[in-house]
Amino acid sequence: MAVPTTKSKGIFTAGVLANRPACADHFALLLRLAEFPPTQPGQFVNIRCGRVEPILKPTEFEWRPGSLPPPHQPETVGRQPLLRRPISLAGRRDLDDGVELEIIHRVVGVGTAWLAGLKAGEPVDILGPLGQGFRPVDRPLAAVVGGGSGIPPMLYLAEALAAAGKKVVAFAGARSGASLPLTIGAHDLPSQAGWPTLCTAEFAARGAATVITTDDGSLGFPGLVSQALQGWIERSSVAQGELAVYACGPNPMMQAVAGLCLPAGIPCQLSLERHMACGLGACQGCVCKVKDDSPQGWKYKLVCKDGPVFDVGEICW
Amino acid sequence: MIDLSVDIAGVRLANPLVTASGTCGYADEYADLLDLRQLGGFFTKSITQKPRQGNEYPRIVETRAGMLNAIGLANIGLEAFVRDKAPLLRQLGIPVFVNVAGVQIEDYVAVAGRLDELDAVRGIELNISCPNVKEGGIQFGTDATQVHKIVSAVRAVCRKNVLVVKLSPNVTDITVTARAAVEAGADALSMINTFTAMAIDIESRRPILANRTGGLSGPAIRPIAVYMVHRVYTQVAKAAGVPIIGMGGIQFAHDAIEFLLAGATGLAVGTALFIDPGGVLGIRDGIADYLRRHGHTSIKEIIGTLQT
Ligand SMILES: Cc1cc2nc3c(=O)[nH]c(=O)nc-3n(C[C@H](O)[C@H](O)[C@H](O)COP(=O)(O)OP(=O)(O)OC[C@H]3O[C@@H](n4cnc5c(N)ncnc54)[C@H](O)[C@@H]3O)c2cc1C
Ligand SMILES: Cc1cc2nc3c(=O)[nH]c(=O)nc-3n(C[C@H](O)[C@H](O)[C@H](O)COP(=O)(O)O)c2cc1C
Ligand code: FES
Repeated sequence: MAVPTTKSKGIFTAGVLANRPACADHFALLLRLAEFPPTQPGQFVNIRCGRVEPILKPTEFEWRPGSLPPPHQPETVGRQPLLRRPISLAGRRDLDDGVELEIIHRVVGVGTAWLAGLKAGEPVDILGPLGQGFRPVDRPLAAVVGGGSGIPPMLYLAEALAAAGKKVVAFAGARSGASLPLTIGAHDLPSQAGWPTLCTAEFAARGAATVITTDDGSLGFPGLVSQALQGWIERSSVAQGELAVYACGPNPMMQAVAGLCLPAGIPCQLSLERHMACGLGACQGCVCKVKDDSPQGWKYKLVCKDGPVFDVGEICW
Repeated sequence: MIDLSVDIAGVRLANPLVTASGTCGYADEYADLLDLRQLGGFFTKSITQKPRQGNEYPRIVETRAGMLNAIGLANIGLEAFVRDKAPLLRQLGIPVFVNVAGVQIEDYVAVAGRLDELDAVRGIELNISCPNVKEGGIQFGTDATQVHKIVSAVRAVCRKNVLVVKLSPNVTDITVTARAAVEAGADALSMINTFTAMAIDIESRRPILANRTGGLSGPAIRPIAVYMVHRVYTQVAKAAGVPIIGMGGIQFAHDAIEFLLAGATGLAVGTALFIDPGGVLGIRDGIADYLRRHGHTSIKEIIGTLQT
């Protein structure tokens, strides 16, 4: 085991072990670190999407009165995103001499494009682990539900739940088959009827059958992942009191999952997304409304510090 | 040995680097990431008399070399601060300045008066310049008469605490409000707060921030901030002997040295803390390198030495 770090979070320089496309628009990045604090599924890291080497110190060039600053001065090096980018952990492996972290992200802008361009051996500056992860519920059956770039944290969660002895069924939704960051056809093919099969290598490796759904019907069940979840709950003989649901994805998807679980009394945790500046609870930028007993009926919590995972009953949509 | 210590109206800072209000919470958030004791001083998030929940989400937009925030002064309020945070800040071992905000003069006076009773607090920073609050509250910071009025009123209740006045850059001539603050008894000036600005979602054709406008901070504003410090230093502060705490986009030692040369005595780091919390110590060391290289033994030898 790696030497345990005493701090709960920190800034670490990771090395890229591998970086591969996971589908048409997602990349899977495998990072290697000498050490990393303990993590939970659902937690995230804040990645500095830019060069790690510090800017040359003024002492490294010869200044003469009247001379202009050399071109590597701060004015001209700022061609990288200013803020860090929050990305969930998709997996963790502890080795004798270090830690491997996996993250899977969709390329949507300047920061994620930079991540996609990383080559093996290059350094990455990561701050973490951050936030409160999923808290496994005492139910023997777990449905992990991911939409688009919300799928990756579900891999880490499925592994932890399986290790804790739960039976796990995965629901993974995407716009189309090409945008699904999973390897299809490991053992079975995805079911068009929305039945769980061992159809993705990633979830199958964690002992979980998967239901694939696509908006355009190009793979698996045509429709929304929440519809597939609903159909499965209704058609399978899931006993009341056996199931817990964990979900991460776009807001409409999570609202639909909440609408399914809340009335049925199914324990459910959802991982929310907010634009963040610090990720540490300092800037107050990433608020979401949660219910409380004040006259107005709600208060703000911070997604970066109190979340990103919240209980379905807490969230005010 | 290079002497990095500076003096802010009688409060000695071991080095000029402090946290910019609102970017470092009440200190506990950074515990694992930055040894705050290594800083010259700590400036808290704005405190108001009553707790405030702040603006609706979205509160933050990143721009190309900066960010807009419209937090709306979300804070725990005076009472909770005194009860829960002040004892922790007292243990920090560096001078603590509490940033004070309000809607009316009476709010400021009440908060400043209470803070004057606390041993944990060495000074207050009067935030008369927050661009993100509308509640019929007057924009104190943009009108010299109002600045004079509010600074005088708060001055009267700061017996022990040093009074720092934080200036708004959203004015035509910042030397006018700076002079009003100094004449009303400010012990120090901190400058600058954020620039009122807007980002638009071009698909929906709406402002991105729920508050519609926000305050621009980060590297984008630094050259303007440096210029404003230069003007206030040369036209108001130097003659009056009032130190300036400079801020706005400081990210590297180079940036900090610009502010020192322009006339700042203290240096606050805000937005850059989000990216690299420990980087502020690199700035400190970079300043020491610079002084060594230019043959100085004390930081005081370069403050305001811009050659024009
Ligand atoms: C807790 C958390 C976990 C996340 N986990 C993952 C993950 O595992 N895989 C994945 O693909 N994506 C994940 N995201 C979304 C990811 O953070 C954004 O896609 C990313 O920040 C986009 O950066 P960019 O520079 O490529 O895009 P740009 O659009 O250029 O970014 C501009 C600004 O907006 C912010 N931003 C843009 N989209 C988002 C978003 N969806 N959420 C929060 N901030 C955003 C950026 O941080 C940046 O400040 C997560 C977000 C959060 C809050
Ligand atoms: C997220 C955020 C919150 C802020 N909150 C406050 C505040 O509560 N009170 C205040 O006086 N200034 C506040 N500021 C302004 C900063 O203290 C500072 O004046 C400004 O950001 C410029 O410095 P920078 O470019 O280093 O961030 C805030 C800035 C940011 C980015
Ligand atoms: S991102 Fe700063 S408080 Fe959450």
